[in-house]
Formats: sequence, C-alpha cells, structure tokens
Amino acid sequence: MTAINRVRRVIVSPTVIALLLSVVLFLIGGVIQPDFLNAAQALNIVRLAAFLGIIAAGQTLVIISGGEGIDLSAGAVVTLGAILTFMIGAGQDSNIPLALAAVLGAGLLVGVVNGLGIIFLRIPPLVMTLGMTGVIQGTILAMTQGAIPGRTPPGLAGFINGRFLGLPGVIYLWLALGIIMWLLLERTPYGKQLFAVGVNRRTARLSGVNVPLVVIATYALSGMLAAFGGFVLLGFTQRVFLDLGGSYLFPSIAAVVVGGTVLAGGRGSYTGTMAGALVLTMVESLLRAMRLHEAYQMITFGVILVLLLSIYGRQRRNQ
Amino acid sequence: MTRLVASNVSKQYGAVRALTDGNIEIEGGRVTALLGANGSGKSTLGKIITGLVRPDSGELTLDGERVTIRSPKDARRLGITAVYQELSLVPHMSVAHNIWLGQEPMRRGGIDQKEMRERSGELLELFSASFSTRVTPTMRVSDLTPGERQIIEILKAMAWRPRILILDEATASLDGRQVERLFELVAQWREEGMGLAFVSHRMEEIARVADRAVVLRNGDTVGEVDVATTSEAQLVQMMTGGATAPHTTRQRAASGEKLLEVEGLSSGRVRDINLSVAPGELVGIGGLQGQGQASLLLALFGAEPYRGTIRIAGKRVNLSTPRRAMREGVAYVPGDRGAEGLLPVRSILENLQLPSWHRYGLLLRQGKAQADAMRAVDELNIKIGDIEDPVRTLSGGNAQKVVIGKWLLRKPRVLLLNDPTKGIDVGAKAEFYALLERLRDAGTAILFNSSDDEELLALCQKVIVLQDGQLRAVLEGEALTHENLVAASMGTAANGSAGRSADSGGRP
Ligand SMILES: Nc1ncnc2c1ncn2[C@@H]1O[C@H](COP(=O)(O)OP(=O)(O)OP(=O)(O)O)[C@@H](O)[C@H]1O
Ligand SMILES: [Mg+2]
Repeated sequence: MTAINRVRRVIVSPTVIALLLSVVLFLIGGVIQPDFLNAAQALNIVRLAAFLGIIAAGQTLVIISGGEGIDLSAGAVVTLGAILTFMIGAGQDSNIPLALAAVLGAGLLVGVVNGLGIIFLRIPPLVMTLGMTGVIQGTILAMTQGAIPGRTPPGLAGFINGRFLGLPGVIYLWLALGIIMWLLLERTPYGKQLFAVGVNRRTARLSGVNVPLVVIATYALSGMLAAFGGFVLLGFTQRVFLDLGGSYLFPSIAAVVVGGTVLAGGRGSYTGTMAGALVLTMVESLLRAMRLHEAYQMITFGVILVLLLSIYGRQRRNQ
Repeated sequence: MTRLVASNVSKQYGAVRALTDGNIEIEGGRVTALLGANGSGKSTLGKIITGLVRPDSGELTLDGERVTIRSPKDARRLGITAVYQELSLVPHMSVAHNIWLGQEPMRRGGIDQKEMRERSGELLELFSASFSTRVTPTMRVSDLTPGERQIIEILKAMAWRPRILILDEATASLDGRQVERLFELVAQWREEGMGLAFVSHRMEEIARVADRAVVLRNGDTVGEVDVATTSEAQLVQMMTGGATAPHTTRQRAASGEKLLEVEGLSSGRVRDINLSVAPGELVGIGGLQGQGQASLLLALFGAEPYRGTIRIAGKRVNLSTPRRAMREGVAYVPGDRGAEGLLPVRSILENLQLPSWHRYGLLLRQGKAQADAMRAVDELNIKIGDIEDPVRTLSGGNAQKVVIGKWLLRKPRVLLLNDPTKGIDVGAKAEFYALLERLRDAGTAILFNSSDDEELLALCQKVIVLQDGQLRAVLEGEALTHENLVAASMGTAANGSAGRSADSGGRP
C-alpha cells in the first residue's frame, strides 16, 4: 500500500510531467525537422539547459520561501559574476580561485542586502530585487566605464565545454549541483524550515523557526548561486556584455514554475526546476529548428513564457 | 417538509477508504446528529452532500427525487449549505465581505457596500450577546478569535438561506455562551422547518440539540437511533464498536517549588497576571473564550511581547521569541490549527518534526526522524495512510492530533495548551487525558486553556478564569464546580465562596 503510494507520488510528480513534456517536445521537433532528432542534438540541448538550470537554482529557493518571494536581481547578478570572473581571472588559470571567491562574495553581499531590505524594511521582494537590479547595473557601468578589460581563464572554458567520458563538463557540474540542492532541500534543517516558512510564516515561527534568518539566508544563497551561474556561463560564452544574464531571468523563473514549484511558496523541488530548464531549452531549440526569423523566435518564446507562467501560476496553494 | 437522503455513498482516496457505505437522512424540522470517531467519514459524507467531493458510488435524493450535486453551487441552488470543519474564511477580508462572498448585493454594477454592511450587521446581531467584544461588519477576520471566526462561518452559511444545513463541528471552538446561543438559534431554525445535520464530539451537546443520531464507524453507517431514548454510553459503544472507559483523575498538586512563575504579566489583551504552576500540576484556564487566554499563552511562549516577570524553575527568563521559550523547555499547542498549528500541504512527518529537526544533525537522519514520528503517530493513535502524505488529507481530529504530537515529541517541561481537544473524538479524548496525566505525573507543568468546561472540571486541580484580560478568579478544590466556573466566567462570582479573588489566589 505504502509502496504503491510512493510510486504514484513519483509518477504524477511535476518533475516527471516536465520531463515527459520535454521528451514530447523533442519528438515534435523531429516531426517538424527530421534532422532535429539525434543524440548530438539531445546532448546539446541538455548542455544548454545546464546553464539555465544552474542559474535557476537560487530562484527555486527564493520562490519556495513564499511571501511573494522572487529574485529579479538574478539576471544582473549573473552578469556581475561573469564580469568579475572575466576581469579578475584575466586569462590566468591561477586566478580562478580568487575570481570564484570574489564572485561568491559579491553574490552573497547582494543577496544579504536583498534579504535585509525584504525582512527589516518590509520592502516587497519584487520591488527590492528589481531595485537591486538597477543598483548592480549602475555599479557595473561605473566600474567598467563600458569597456570591460580581461579575458576568460582558459581552464574555466576548458572545463565547462570540454568533454569527459563523452559529456561536457557543465553537465557534471549541473548534476553535482542537483545532488547538493536535493540534500539541501530534503535533508537539512534549513530545507525543512524553508518549506515551512513558505507555507505559513506564523506557523513556522510558532514552531521555533527563525523566520528572518531563513529568509535572509535564502536570498543570500540565491545571490551566490546566481553569481556562480555567471561564473559558469562565462566559461561557455567566453565574452561578457552588460545584458549577458538578463536574458536568463524570465526563463529561469519559468523553469522553476514549470518544474512544479508553486509561486505561492512552500512546495517545490530543484529536480523539478532541472526538468523545467530542459523544457524551456527544448522550446527554444525547437523554435530555432523551425528556422523562424530571430525576432519571431523571441516573440514566440516570450508568448510561450507568459502562457506557461499563467497556466502554472494559477494553481492555488491548496489546490 | 424537506427531506434529503444519502444512500450507500462511498469514497476512496488512493489507498484510503474514507467512506464505504454512508447513509443519512436529513429531514426538515429535525436535527440529525452525525456521530463517529475521528476519520470515520463524517466530513466526507457532508462534503459529498454539498458537492464538494464526488462520491465513487451511491445516490442522493431530495424530496423523493434523485439529484446529482456536482458542486457547492449546485447544492446551494437546491437549498443545501454546510459549515465545513476547516474554516474557509479569507483572513485579510472584512467580516461583511466574507459573509457575502459569492453573493454580494449589487447595485449599479458594483458591490453595494452599504447594503452588505447592513445585512451583515443584522446577521451579526443574532450572536451579538455572545461576542466578548463587539464584532462589526468592517472588522478584518484575522482580528477575530477562533470562536468568532466560527460564528462568521455559520452566518455565511445562513446568508444563503438554506433549507438543509450541515454543521460540521461548528461548536468545537465555541465557548459555553456561544454554544448556548447557537442552540437557541438551531431550535428556532428547526421550528421554521430547516433540516439540520450536526457533527460534534461533545456528547452532551448531542443530547441537548439532536433528535436523531446517525452513527458512522470506519466509513459505514452502523445505525440510526432516537437520541432521547439512547444513553451516551450506548452511542459511544456504537461509535467505537467496543467499550471505552474515559476515566480521569484529579490529583492534588505536588507541593514544593514552582516550575512556572508569572508576575505582573501584561501583554496584548491581558493585564497584570500573576500565576504559578508547580511541576506535576495541571492548571486550567476556563470561562468564556476571547478574554485574553491566547494572549497569555502566546506571551508565555515568547510569541507576543510582554511586560512582567516570568521564571522557569526559579530562573528569570527573557522569552523574546518562541525559540527561546522552546530552549527553556516550553511548548505551545496553538488553538487554531489552520492558521498556527499546521502546514497543510507538507507531509505528516514534516509537520510532526518541524520544531525538532535540529536534533537530527546537519544532514538529517531521516530514518530516525521517521521512526520517532511514527512513535508519536502510534502513541496518539493518529489514523494516517502514509507518513509522507500531506496533512491536508487527514480528518479534522487526526490533524489536531498532529498538532499535539509535534510538541509531545519535544518532551517539554512546561506545556501550554490552547483548546487542544478541538475536534477529537471521545475515545481519543480519553486517551489524550490519560497522556496528560502521565506527563503531569512525570513532572510537567501544564497550563490548559479550554472552551469545554467539562474537561477542565475532569482534569484540573485548579482553574483560573480570565475576564477582559484580567485574572478574575482562581477556583480550587471544593470551589471548583461547574456552577462556580459558569458564575466566575460571567463575572458574577466575586464572593468568597465561589473562589478566591485573583490577588490572594494568584500569587505564587
Ligand atoms: N483529501 C483526502 N485525501 C486522502 N484521504 C482523505 C482525504 N479526505 C479525507 N481522507 C481520509 O478519509 C477518512 C475520513 O475522513 P473524514 O474527514 O471524513 O473523517 P471525519 O469522520 O470527519 O473525522 P474527524 O472527526 O476527525 O473530523 C480519513 O481517514 C481521512 O484521512
Ligand atoms: Mg471531520
């Protein structure tokens, strides 16, 4: 009885549904464009999904934390992470540790400030993180004066893009992050408390949860994970520009939501987000395979994002 | 006369059979009690009648005609409404908006606010004498006590002018005066020809208000009897299928030092409270609800700012957050399981362990946590499918047991209880009392607020009565009688025989 229940729970889980959806999309791609359907293409899509998935990790935590939680600064932080890596790394592998430390530190700082503003000044997350986006972009502009000196450390690019046992390095990184995120959410006191905070802050507080600490820690983690996403992304693009991370913001939110994390908070998983990232990347690849004009691709993708968000966003907290 | 018959109704949720063969007849001009242990299918049957849940099989007939009810809307069109066990109010909306939700009086394309307020005012008038403070149509529901919210829920159902009304544990959070008023109204509605179904675990209420009783056991209707000619013991026997002996002992307080001492405590709604509880003592808080009981317990749990002194085991403590109180060994079972006690969408396991996760290491030892939680499930006899199921799949009484269980797992020194037996069936209540006695005898200091005078009288050595935020009376020993408790809560018991006054009796 119990075993059947557990099996049922896995089968109807949003993660599995999203995975199936991405397979279906892949097959549709094959119908539209027969040469779409091959292993190399599939692997390439998974590789692209990895970047989106890594960037969406922090967003997953923030959305689970509820209270209209959302981190709109994630895009700008991704850019910031990439630029810091580019500048500090300066083409030297020996600079990678220092660059990584700076990236994580900067992300942490942004996240903590977000969290403090949301908790102590009671600024709505949407407003706080949107404002933060402006601050980060302004800072980058002031810091670089538009011209960004530096170079991607070859070791980073080599690891992210290079193949190990046939798979690009970024996929290993993504899987490792997946395991860490699963442990964090399902097997640490922080994870359990995060879900509680997301469902009902009063109940959480009355159960001994330090609600402000959990929320601030969550935005801090989100900042660090987004900045780390920028670090990883640089290994792929190997060049930086001011809007590098911005284009990942909405897809990352959509990936979280398609993966079954409820916008109202309190329910969700990172495995779901991973599957959601696959779905969105699949949609994007499909649009590319249809060889639409780039502008139409963007429009269609935008429309699909809005549709997905409104379909999934409509599910209420208690069904 | 209206006549609604549900026959051979069944409902299965996954592996759980909620209802196997449910039968009930609700007739106009009659109150039909629906009895059964926790998880026996009462709420499920009620929800099927109002179309909130689709049955797997069975049929409904209204006035002899077969009807299909697909939604509460369908049901309301047929004149059938229910007050569900889990409240459905929107906390941040006003009383008036909640009452008229879905049928707002309209005028020129917009909601007629004035009309809505006036009509709400008329409905509130029905209960006005039983509110502790005035409840107005414009107040926010989140500012009301659980009892007042329950009354709004009843008024909301009445606003649909039903012919058939199902009250699913509508009295569980009402105090004596409010129950009294509800029963007057029920009698009046019955006279007017309304058919009522009434679910409650308080047996004395059944005897007072119901004409017939339908008894469910494990999803089957096992009988229908005339209440007047059936004893309480017989009813309980039908519900459980065996005999239960609800026995309780009042025990003299262990003398000696005090475990919890409160001096001059003011907070939220309470002022200048002095009281003390010894280890192994069970002190009740009685009287009408909404007199500051919740404020007092919340302050003692660090959840509300307070002034005054609190000592635990002789040590002065500063309870600025619930976490600090928990570190001092204090536990608080809140009175409103929906808003304060449970995370409905999370699993039974997570709900039970939420206050205790830190005990299982930084990388949680899930197996151990699960085993411990299972022990609480067994000890409290919680009827569950799987411990990973969300709490919202539990019946009301079983959900309430989860709220209790999560604090028992912490083995508290000081246990604060706010109406903990709300919605718990007779058998389980007896088990819970026995459990409290075990805790008490093991040296736990227990402060027990209850809207049910009977259980206070059965369990406590001492009952304090709050009125308007102040300690009005301390009833102990001989003076602890039902009459005195009622008198004290009405504020008419300032004389010496009914109990000592707060000043002399409340000091440690
Ligand atoms: N949505 C649901 N999903 C799964 N199981 C459910 C659901 N609703 C009810 N159940 C199960 O069905 C059974 C009957 O529940 P029901 O709520 O009807 O009991 P009840 O008689 O009202 O009990 P109580 O006195 O505790 O309120 C319980 O075992 C409960 O766990
Ligand atoms: Mg019920």
